[in-house]
Amino acid sequence: MISRRRVGVTSAVIAGGLAVAGLLGLATGPAPIGPGDVAAALVGRARSDLAATVVLELRLPRVLLAALAGGGLAVAGAAFQALTRNPLADPAVLGVAGGAALGAVLGHLWGLEGSLAATVGVSAAAFAGALIASIAVYLIAASGGWLPVQTLLLAGVITGLFFSAVITLVVSLVDFAQLGGILHWLMGSLGIVGYRAIGVIAVGTAVGSAMVYTQARALNLLALGEESALQLGVEAERVKRIVFVAASLLTGVIVAQTGPIGFVGLIVPHGVRLALGADNRLLLPVAAGAGAAFLVLADALARLVVQPAELPVGVVTAFCGAPFFVYLLRTRLRRRTP
Amino acid sequence: MSLPAPPVFAARNVEFGYGGAFRLAAASFDVAEGEILGLVGPNSSGKTTLLRLLSKVHVPDRGEIRFRGTPIDAVGRRALAREVAVVPQEEQLAFSVSVEELVLMGRFPRGAGRLFESPEDLVRAREAMALVGVLDLGDQPVDALGGGERQRALLARALAQEPRVLLLDEPTSHLDLWHQRHLVGLLRQLNRDRGMTVVFVSHDLNLAGELADRLLLLSGGRLVRLDTPGEVLDEAVLEEAYGCPVWVERLSPSGRPFVIGVRL
Amino acid sequence: MTGPSPGRLLARAASPAFRIAVTLLVALTGLAITPRAGGAGDVTDMLGRRVRVPARAARIVSLAPSITETVFVLGEGDRLVGVTDYCDYPPEATRKPRVGGISSPSFEAILTLRPDLVLATSESNYAEHVQRLASLGLAVYVIRPVDFETVLESIARIGAVLGREAAARERVASMRRDADAIVQALAGAPRRRVLYVVWPNPLIAPGRGTLISELIQRAGGESVTGAEPLPYPRLSLETVVERRPERIIVGRHGQGTVEDLLRGWERLGSVGAVREGRVYGVDGDLLHRPGPRMIEALRELARVIHPERVP
Repeated sequence: MISRRRVGVTSAVIAGGLAVAGLLGLATGPAPIGPGDVAAALVGRARSDLAATVVLELRLPRVLLAALAGGGLAVAGAAFQALTRNPLADPAVLGVAGGAALGAVLGHLWGLEGSLAATVGVSAAAFAGALIASIAVYLIAASGGWLPVQTLLLAGVITGLFFSAVITLVVSLVDFAQLGGILHWLMGSLGIVGYRAIGVIAVGTAVGSAMVYTQARALNLLALGEESALQLGVEAERVKRIVFVAASLLTGVIVAQTGPIGFVGLIVPHGVRLALGADNRLLLPVAAGAGAAFLVLADALARLVVQPAELPVGVVTAFCGAPFFVYLLRTRLRRRTP
Repeated sequence: MSLPAPPVFAARNVEFGYGGAFRLAAASFDVAEGEILGLVGPNSSGKTTLLRLLSKVHVPDRGEIRFRGTPIDAVGRRALAREVAVVPQEEQLAFSVSVEELVLMGRFPRGAGRLFESPEDLVRAREAMALVGVLDLGDQPVDALGGGERQRALLARALAQEPRVLLLDEPTSHLDLWHQRHLVGLLRQLNRDRGMTVVFVSHDLNLAGELADRLLLLSGGRLVRLDTPGEVLDEAVLEEAYGCPVWVERLSPSGRPFVIGVRL
Repeated sequence: MTGPSPGRLLARAASPAFRIAVTLLVALTGLAITPRAGGAGDVTDMLGRRVRVPARAARIVSLAPSITETVFVLGEGDRLVGVTDYCDYPPEATRKPRVGGISSPSFEAILTLRPDLVLATSESNYAEHVQRLASLGLAVYVIRPVDFETVLESIARIGAVLGREAAARERVASMRRDADAIVQALAGAPRRRVLYVVWPNPLIAPGRGTLISELIQRAGGESVTGAEPLPYPRLSLETVVERRPERIIVGRHGQGTVEDLLRGWERLGSVGAVREGRVYGVDGDLLHRPGPRMIEALRELARVIHPERVP
């Protein structure tokens, strides 16, 4: 039986892991600033102006964003998987990420990039896109007050594909000179971010995650199938609505800032589920922490491999995530078959 | 003199259709407090549909269902689940859970919105598992169980809800003879000792006839007969419902009917 | 409400008199905000941003090859402490520390070099990078070399910021003289129809308002894509056939012969340039860097378009 205590203890362990990952992330970069300098800068006793600026203005926001994005995407992924009863569901699959991407692309095109409120402008457009996409998916799938989960998955996939097609259309028509910026954004990056944007994302992630967590026990029951869940007293439609909105909010707020980052929402919840079981009350906080640590480390790697240039973080998540997942799957399979 | 208790379920002119294809037509019946009612009939006659209507999975297109005198729409889902527990025929689990976790899910309706189970929940769950004989399977993943064990685990979950009404869909379909007897005995015991109302679907006419106080015979979505097994398990009645000649013998000395099978 | 209708106002705005007045006003304003000589204190860059530039910047980071070339040509290459990965001219530039790509500079690398001045261009660098660097406390001066005149102005402005106005003036004047000489040599020559290929597949050509189209014009040619509304439109190969260019010029960047780059174009036999073999490659770096070597680019183009006039 899952107890509050077990959740608390496991979360503390994960938080510790996340702190270590964070320090590693803060110590990585082309500037000659090691862990000692990082620690000093964090407590306000930076050893040099350079250290203060690099650690506090460049690396810290980045690590914070990686943690928020990784945690948020993992929670969204776990939520969508529980909601659709399908371990392959993922924020990207449900079309929300596609909508955010299209919003950002259009935002870039319409000159929001060049304006003073540059990052906020494009992010706002991306969030609007995510909102429109999730509303579209919901409207397509819902009928007569019911939200059939199979239809939801299909509607999400189709919406995602549609938005991808529109993005491709836009990219094919857009002027060569603007192409670079758009493609760069589409690769997903944690690049330049200010503390205000981080604040917005922190609030969005906290609210979305909390909303999902209140439904954690009901989501466990949804895994039995809707009929059984209803018969056990779960207001299935209400739960689905809340979780869908929350997960879409999480995805939208994050992808609006970072661009589409794949694999985190799919692999992290899966890995945690294989290791600790499917009880969402434990899965959600652990996946959040694991996702955060994963993305922080992936980003550190992205900055390390081709220093001083940077790889898009989505590339690293794919390269690291896929083989690790295959390994997990195979060890688990080997244990189960007699 | 006190008024008789309202029927557990009272259905009046209930109609329901899955978007045009099948239709449950104007069924009216009562399920009395403390009775064992068997739902029988050919395939796709509406037995499972009826069960779903009684557990509020479906809402009737027309007509009304009352639960202990209250219209069932006015009864909250959680409140209904505290009184009525369903044992489905089978379940497709999306993610792997252990038997104990499965049975603990039966405590949800009594959880009053809490995120975590209480120690009492664990006690009740274990009691239910012991009663049904799956206590030692507690840590096993449900998908590792055989059909019979799984069905018993589902029964344990239903009992963990501490219901006063049990709805079972083909409860013996995966059970061997020994376990069939054991289940029938358990249901009788629950009915006798706790006054549990039992409504079950079965395609095994004889088992249904032996267990039930009354049988509700459905055919093509219509309620054909609602009476004692002695009256329902009659060659003429069954032939009309099943659309083929049926051979029924009377066993001596009780005179109980025994359906031998299709008359060739 | 009294007053002219919106339609009337619009018509009035379009009138020649109004436009001349606006142009004069802009020109006067431009003169008023031209940076003072000496490059010290607050100046305004070509995007209208106020920048606090040191009196004599000793640690300069360049974020574009054209800027690097300009700094070297003004004799101040020693003051450069960081350049992009693509800054390869003059050869001394390759020995300077790298700060990353043009569209993806590494802020940490830049900060580590402790620059007192960063030079960026509106044509290749991203506005958000410029803003971020400025918000980190760096002086970022942005040039805007979008056409012939603004390229020259960019060189002058960089000269002013570096405290080398005289050298810059000299340079600009010499560039003008060379440009005029080329124009002289081409006097009376028939305009030849030119297709410039920025990228062969998909076909990307320079449209209206681009430096390349303007250079082609000055080199005695007529860019067949010069009227396209987008700066770098993607066109179908039919355009090649339909617009009958007399010269096809491909901007090459290092590897690949012209034959390789324009594989398949030999099918377009109806096109004069293809039939007569007037398909040429020019150094892409020359053409695509709006900097001091713009005149060499002009000369290359003129040579290809009018070989009989420009040896």
